[in-house]
Amino acid sequence: MFKKKVTLKILLLLISCDILETAVHFFFKKSALAQSSPAVVDLATAVVFLKAVFASPFLWAGLFTVVLVFIIWSTILTKIDLSVAVPIASFSYILVPITSIIFLDEQITVFRWVGILFVLAGVILVSLSSKERIAQVK
Amino acid sequence: MKEGLFLVLFLIALTSLCDTMNQLFLKSAINSLNFTPTFNIVKIFKFIFQLLIKPRLWLGFVFSVISLCIWLLVLSKADLNFAFSADSMHYIFIALASHFVLKERFSSLRWLGTGLIVWGIVIISLS
Repeated sequence: MFKKKVTLKILLLLISCDILETAVHFFFKKSALAQSSPAVVDLATAVVFLKAVFASPFLWAGLFTVVLVFIIWSTILTKIDLSVAVPIASFSYILVPITSIIFLDEQITVFRWVGILFVLAGVILVSLSSKERIAQVK
Repeated sequence: MKEGLFLVLFLIALTSLCDTMNQLFLKSAINSLNFTPTFNIVKIFKFIFQLLIKPRLWLGFVFSVISLCIWLLVLSKADLNFAFSADSMHYIFIALASHFVLKERFSSLRWLGTGLIVWGIVIISLS
């Protein structure tokens, strides 16, 4: 039922997904950064913090982008197999740190990049195993 | 600083657990409907409607809202690049939950992938 072939159109959709997914996390981070983080995490301070964050336009931009990503992602999954889509979509594991360095002034050591690559490799292996499982069911 | 790291990791674990609960409820709601994938629009809308009236789906939704709230707390405390990678913890919880709760079976390839994610998060946390 699913096609394995990634056409140019699907590839463009997947890259859009990567970029929008990165934007989601950037927006959420921006909305949280605008508030001072509660030193002690209890329910009362958390509520005050969250009230302020939910008033931020960045948060709503993030939520809007989440819906957008969901629609594009669902479209992609009607065209290609999950085991093909996820590894390409996992490019956001690289894009998010790059965005963090450029736009959020975060610093990333070589050691941390190694950890990120391990996580990325793990995510790709997990998604590849979904192909195996579907083959077994058939 | 170390104390802060443990608090952040604990909060990330909590949001990952809420995500897992959301996925479990969603999957269990979908499983209970016996839906076979189709391109028939009418059938798809009927399926979505049947899904929307499942209380389990809304229980899952509550968990995803809680997850978002905790996630925003995490982002106010930690670097985005750290939090984003460490959030892959949900792969571990979902693997365990699928195995023990939904009784799904998976290949050694999936366990190997989950293991790599664990190792990656350990390295990221130490850096």
